[in-house]
Amino acid sequence: MTTTMSARDDAPRRSAPLAPAFRMTPKGFRALVAMHARLLFREPGTAVVVLLPLALLLIFANVHSARYTPQKALGGRTVLDVYVPTFAALMPLMLALTVLPGRMAMLRESKALRRFRVSPVPPAGMLVALLAVIVSLAAAGVVLVVAVGVGVYGAAMPSGLGTVIAAFVLGSAAVFALGLIVAAVAPGQGTANGLGAPMMILNFFFSGLYFPVAEMPHWLQKTGEFVPFGAVMDAWAGQGALWQHLTVLGCYTLLGGVAAVKLFRWE
Amino acid sequence: MHVIEVSGLHKQYGAVTAVQEVSFSVEQGEIFGILGPNGAGKTTTVECISGLRTGDRGAVRVLGLDPTVDGEQLRQVVGVQLQEAGLPDRLKVREALEVFAAFYRKTADIDALLDRLGLTEKADTAYKKLSGGQKQRLAIAIALIGEPQVVILDELTTGLDPHARREVWELVEQIRADSVTVLLVTHFMEEAERLCDRVALIDRGRVVALDTPAGITQRAGGGQRMRFKPSAPIADEDLRALPSVTSLSHHGAQIEIEGGQDLIQQVTSLLAHRQIIAGELRIEQSTLDDAFLALTADAQAPDNSPTNQRNGA
Repeated sequence: MTTTMSARDDAPRRSAPLAPAFRMTPKGFRALVAMHARLLFREPGTAVVVLLPLALLLIFANVHSARYTPQKALGGRTVLDVYVPTFAALMPLMLALTVLPGRMAMLRESKALRRFRVSPVPPAGMLVALLAVIVSLAAAGVVLVVAVGVGVYGAAMPSGLGTVIAAFVLGSAAVFALGLIVAAVAPGQGTANGLGAPMMILNFFFSGLYFPVAEMPHWLQKTGEFVPFGAVMDAWAGQGALWQHLTVLGCYTLLGGVAAVKLFRWE
Repeated sequence: MHVIEVSGLHKQYGAVTAVQEVSFSVEQGEIFGILGPNGAGKTTTVECISGLRTGDRGAVRVLGLDPTVDGEQLRQVVGVQLQEAGLPDRLKVREALEVFAAFYRKTADIDALLDRLGLTEKADTAYKKLSGGQKQRLAIAIALIGEPQVVILDELTTGLDPHARREVWELVEQIRADSVTVLLVTHFMEEAERLCDRVALIDRGRVVALDTPAGITQRAGGGQRMRFKPSAPIADEDLRALPSVTSLSHHGAQIEIEGGQDLIQQVTSLLAHRQIIAGELRIEQSTLDDAFLALTADAQAPDNSPTNQRNGA
């Protein structure tokens, strides 16, 4: 026992970055959630993130042919059917890859993390509260887009609802993990955007925002299966092997999460 | 028991030694100053005391606890204001206090605290829109929200205008009046002289003096300096013969004499005895400023006389 003790004492003493971090009272957690929610809604960009997908949905739904004409190239579905999941995907994509990294970089840049570290506010708990607020917003956004698309404009629901929800949840987890990597390292909001935006656009592309995935060349579709929201869209449309899509998403989530924790910097 | 006890603290960053063999202790209810030029190791010392860093060697105890091991317990009773720290731009003053308050077991009344720090009118103002002085006062409010037993204030008045600085000083005096122990880090002599009961003077990572501000001034010469134009000639030797005189020089018709504590009394009585009038008389008492320069310059330059230009005192 003596030997293990001295071995430990000889090691350079460094506080583990995420160690005492999550311990907090429900009251404390509520206070942090309230703070992040307020800050988020005071940011003009947040409204854009929530309203843009809805606005796109309304525009498409009001184009007669998009709403009612089944397309052969789209496997007999209407343009609206295809675009409802795409617009829904914008919510987690924008929130995970630009808003989350941007908010964390802001906390780092403004040295607020440093101030919280010398108080009993657990800084990692603070980040968990931030994540909770943004994930809730993403979930609400997805539900809203799908509810309006399906409920108001009669877009077709996907067949295997359970697998689709699983794919969407896992896909969101995957991009949130990628967003967390950026959030972990970006020293400022500029860097956060510079790193997060290209990932977001890549996901936009393979979620079919710019061009329907079904009309892409075969090799491009194949590539898209390995991009988080490419895999989600395939699962939604019932294309390819479901186990493969879920594995891809699981890997992103796991590796991204581990990388984010490993790379995390307070200052 | 000492409230803060630092013994043999040593911290190295790569090849740079930031702090070496720093030791001091702070007593209950005192305002203790850590004074030193920029880059002397003040902030590193404070970061070790507040648990943000761990020293390579030596021990730090705050209220008997080790900041790196018992950080969680200490953060409940130690309020810290850091030199480099901020808040989200859009967070409002009251909201900031509410968030911090939610984590303390004991909390001060937010309205009373806002009032005491003159922030009541700014309660709903976003952090970004506060002036430098208001931001500092908010930082102090956050340091006080948990009704701490010890408050650490790092470079509290840097960047403030003289008016705001004086306001902040009054606040620190109020804090002490509540028998809270204050550790004050500063490079302003005036601040240390005005507020601190005792001061540790740190230069290039070492404590070079530890005493009351007056004691440090004394130690660095405690000298006085006078300059005058004698109404009749007086021999240099006669002046030099006075026990307090350490140096004498001529500047045109003026004589400048430096010496110890009794210099002025000795010189004036000699002049009176000879019926010489000291015209254009100027007397300077050396201050903590001089002591600071003398003690920190010792190692830097061969010229270690406490002479720097400072008008009045």
